[in-house]
Amino acid sequence: MRLSDFSKDIEKNVDLSVSKLNDAQKKLNAIVTMIEPDEQIKEVKEKDPALPLYGIPVAIKDNITTKNIRTTASSRILDNYVPVYDATVIKKLKEAGAVMVAKTSMDELGMGGTNLNAYTGKVNNPYDVKRISGGSSGGSAALVAQGVVPVALGTDTGDSIRKPAAYCGVVGFKPTYGRISRYGVIPYASSLDHVGYFTTNIVDAARMLSILAGRDDHDMTSSYEPVDDYEKKLNSDIKGKKIAVLENVMSSIQDERIIQNFNELVEKLEKRGAIVERIQLDDALLQTLLPVYLIIANAEACANHSNLDGVRFGMREEGKDLEEIMINSRTKGFSSAVRKRFVLGSYSLFVENQDKLFRKAQKVRRVIVNEFKKVLDEYDCVMASAASTIAPHPEESVGEKMSDTYLVAENFMVLGNMSGYPSLTLPSGFVEGCPIGINVTAKAFDEQTLLNICKAVEEETGLENVTVEVQR
Amino acid sequence: MEKFSKEMLKKLANQVMFDLSDEECEELQEEFVTYLKQLDLLNKINTDDVEEMVYPFDTPTSFIRDDEHEYALSQEDAMANVPLKNENYVVVPKVVK
Repeated sequence: MRLSDFSKDIEKNVDLSVSKLNDAQKKLNAIVTMIEPDEQIKEVKEKDPALPLYGIPVAIKDNITTKNIRTTASSRILDNYVPVYDATVIKKLKEAGAVMVAKTSMDELGMGGTNLNAYTGKVNNPYDVKRISGGSSGGSAALVAQGVVPVALGTDTGDSIRKPAAYCGVVGFKPTYGRISRYGVIPYASSLDHVGYFTTNIVDAARMLSILAGRDDHDMTSSYEPVDDYEKKLNSDIKGKKIAVLENVMSSIQDERIIQNFNELVEKLEKRGAIVERIQLDDALLQTLLPVYLIIANAEACANHSNLDGVRFGMREEGKDLEEIMINSRTKGFSSAVRKRFVLGSYSLFVENQDKLFRKAQKVRRVIVNEFKKVLDEYDCVMASAASTIAPHPEESVGEKMSDTYLVAENFMVLGNMSGYPSLTLPSGFVEGCPIGINVTAKAFDEQTLLNICKAVEEETGLENVTVEVQR
Repeated sequence: MEKFSKEMLKKLANQVMFDLSDEECEELQEEFVTYLKQLDLLNKINTDDVEEMVYPFDTPTSFIRDDEHEYALSQEDAMANVPLKNENYVVVPKVVK
């Protein structure tokens, strides 16, 4: 579904979406909370029909706070949490005329890449329900892929928008760090967290950026960089644009069909006049992406979530004293997977480990980003296949944990989080009936170039506005 | 893996205010093996004279705000999600005994 497919008839738009939601939920298990739309419809009717999202149904990842609407981050500890304020992105959506219809499932607190670790259970892939949606923004990706909503918000700390976008065959965009305010977003790792979204096409992705971006004094990391009219300036002429193919990633992918799909696309872009060159980063450096990410993310997460204790908000478990209440609430409130990550995080923050682990990881992060920046000083964007496989089955391992396929091809998109550079995944084809995607990353705050190149890619693949419509 | 005994892992968990079951400790012991192997990869990278990267951009926004009241949570809102309360107090077991 495109934004332009919707009329100004708010009730009709919302009814269609809500009727699909119920069917989609049975098939996908993508929703944590359905949102009653009547009040919102009344409010939107008072607004200017020329608003960019007037009467358009949208879905929201469940770690984004919504006033008076339960927000759990797919964690048991927040199962009863009803925020008293809206996140800045929610305010912006409302001001643009959108109607929220669902809060979507995610890996608990954003910690995961499969969406298997959600309190409400696995989210199914719309193309094959036995496969995973990917995560952590899996519910949002699945609903857009299923044609339930044209836009859904997500967040991205490692590749949590861009990986599920690849597995579900939709556009997933994480703009530059600081571009979109994070005020009101339940954090995972503050130095890596980004807000972004899913759409079915690049034109809509461009429109959404103008709506959501901008400085917010409530978020000290948000940027003063001016926001443009990205949709108006969208231009798929990529003649002379320099594209770097990250060869380390492509050479570590085993599936020939994914490599062939990518190479065919590269040829088409060259025919359009783009200059495509294969570049190689230091392998030893790329192999550190995952450990650097894990150390920083787990440590920041452990600190960020110390306020989840069941005392002032959230699910409280009884105990004989305050300490026991906290321990019992956190033991029962967090899944095993999250508690294990917190232990790893806490370990690297120990005084005796800080230099050799946490600070070392922060230093290696700078070395990595400096090398990546050198590439983007020379090229307009960096491109590679977004994943080394189609969406896996839950029991399928992503590969041997120390292999290049796992360390490099499955984790390279974290480069976008470490550097903060804008990064987008869009569909590039199908393998065994399941979608595959490519990932494109550009210079900081140069979202226009990124969107322009992605528009050219979309024109070549012809995979604009592809959804698996719910059968009614 | 002697240093990652169950006791040590449980102590680590308790320091950040939760418990681990014996089974979770065993899983974590295995995960630590992979984790430490991955950490070894970091030591191959020379970081002499490299400053830690704490945030993506070295242009933090700092400003002195006007001394004007803009937004504050009302008492009612602040208490809205408290699991157990008595009037405007959060109720917990007696601390001073």
